This record gives sequence, structure tokens and C-alpha cells, in this order.
Amino acid sequence: MNLSETGESRINGYLFVLERSLKTFLPGDVVRDAVREIESHVRERIGASDGAPNEHEALEKILRELGPPLRVAQAYSAERVIDEAVTTGRLVPIARAIWHVATTTVIGALVGIALFTGYAMGVGFLVVAALKPVFPNNVGLLVVNGIPRSFGAQFPTPPGAVVYGGYWVIPLSIACGFAVLALTHRAARRFLSRWRERRQPTM
Amino acid sequence: MSHENWQEQLRRGSLDLAILLTVSAGPRYGLAIIQHLEAFTDLVVTEGTIYPILGRLTREGLLEAEWVEGEAPHARKYYRLTQRGAKRLREMKDEWRTLAGKIARLMAASEERHS
Repeated sequence: MNLSETGESRINGYLFVLERSLKTFLPGDVVRDAVREIESHVRERIGASDGAPNEHEALEKILRELGPPLRVAQAYSAERVIDEAVTTGRLVPIARAIWHVATTTVIGALVGIALFTGYAMGVGFLVVAALKPVFPNNVGLLVVNGIPRSFGAQFPTPPGAVVYGGYWVIPLSIACGFAVLALTHRAARRFLSRWRERRQPTM
Repeated sequence: MSHENWQEQLRRGSLDLAILLTVSAGPRYGLAIIQHLEAFTDLVVTEGTIYPILGRLTREGLLEAEWVEGEAPHARKYYRLTQRGAKRLREMKDEWRTLAGKIARLMAASEERHS
């Protein structure tokens, strides 16, 4: 079937949306290959529907059976980004998968914020441990007028503040930092694993 | 777990095996794989979602892919089973037969008790 200009525009529109969606989480060469393969599928189906009386209906049927471009992109996401994160458990794939989930759904965004808070807190503890030897009078448990105010670093320390903890702050912060990071990472991996099981689009 | 969810898990779990079986007979391109699956099963609900699975199986080294030009007005991406894929397929077939046999025995035992 030789497509009319309208038919070609419809295909190009579909591929454009697919490409834009894939580009948010896949490398450029992978996106190009995926779009080329989907286009090949569409052209193949068009070629097989020679003799169809209505181009519009035939094309819409092909695209409907292929699935909406966002759904196809979501399947790539589930198979590639989330799968890589769950399988490897490495930080970068996990961060990329959380980012993708967080930017596509509300629940994902809420969990993404919680996980980001966890990672930030873990890193914060480690920064406190690193700063203590450099600024011993500014880092530790800050007590102002007998009331504990914060644990961390403050520049300058407020009037009447006393820094408690001494150098015990260092091992304590390191232990807390790694514990929080490990727990957050574990939670992220578990969340993504459940996400993959429950939210993967219907095959 | 709802019935639909269970069916979905079952379908998803068996799709890798179905794809490897389809490609084991010889190299096939995406649409040919989909059409073969559609002819023998109802595993394919949305055609476009098969391609990411083919991509994953390729990344895992179970399939290898190659673009072939000139065979049709457009290029086709062919998938073939690798040695690793063939080994995995044998394992999956054994596991499938074992599991199916056990479930069949369980069902037979259950039906016997009820009759």
C-alpha cells in the first residue's frame, strides 16, 4: 500500500512521540534503533495490508495493535531501565530508574522524594563525619541553653550553644550514614522490583 | 492476587520461553516472531511491547540481532538464538515440563478427592 501524505504524517507523528518518550531515559543510539525497528514493523504491516479499501482504517488498526507510543515506551522503560536497576542493584541504574518512575506517576514521585530524602540523609551523616576533624567546634550535637537543637554542622554556632559528642561524632556519623544509605538503597531496589512486577504494561 | 493479575503474571512468565522457542527454529524478524506467537498462543496483547523484550533478551546474550537490508522495501531486524540462548532454552523447557507435570499431578489428585 502506498501511503498518502496524511498516512505518512500519522506514522511520523506516532514515531515522533515514541522517540520523545524514549529519549527521556534511553541513550540516543538505543532510541534510534528502537524507533527504526518500530517503523520497520509498521511498514511491514502496511505492506501486508495491500488491497485494504480504506487507508485510514487500515493504518489506525495497525497502530492500535502496536499500542500507544507511550505504552510502548513504558514497556522499554520496564524492560531496560527498571530491569537493569533491579538486576544489578548498582547506584546509577537505580537512580535513573527512580528518576524515570518519579517523573511518570504521582506515586512514583512521592516514593522518589522519600528515597531522595533517605539518600541525602545518609550522605549528610558522612559529610558530618568528614567535617568534624576540620571544624571540631562547629560539628556535633548542638545544645542551646540546655535544649538539643540539631545534630550536624552549624556556621557560626549560635550564642550560648555547646557542641557535644566530641570525636565520637565521627564513628557515629559514619555508622548512621552507611546504615541509612544501605536501608534506603534496599528500599529503592525493593520498590523498583515490586513496581516492575505490578506496573509493567500488559504484553 | 486477582485472577487477572495471576493470568498476567503467568503470561509474562511464559513469554520469554515462547519467544526463545519461536526463534529456535531459525532467525526471524520482529513481526514474524509476533505473528508466530499469535498463531500459536494468545500471549501477545500489545505488539509494540514485544520489542523491548527482544531487546532485553539480546542484552542478556540469549539472542543476537542483525539488521538486514534489501530483502524488503525497508530494513528488517533479525533475531537468532545464541549458544547461551540455546542452553537457557533447554533449561527453561526442562523446568517448564517438570512444573507442568507436578501441577498436572496435583490437579489429578485434587480432582480424585472431589469425585
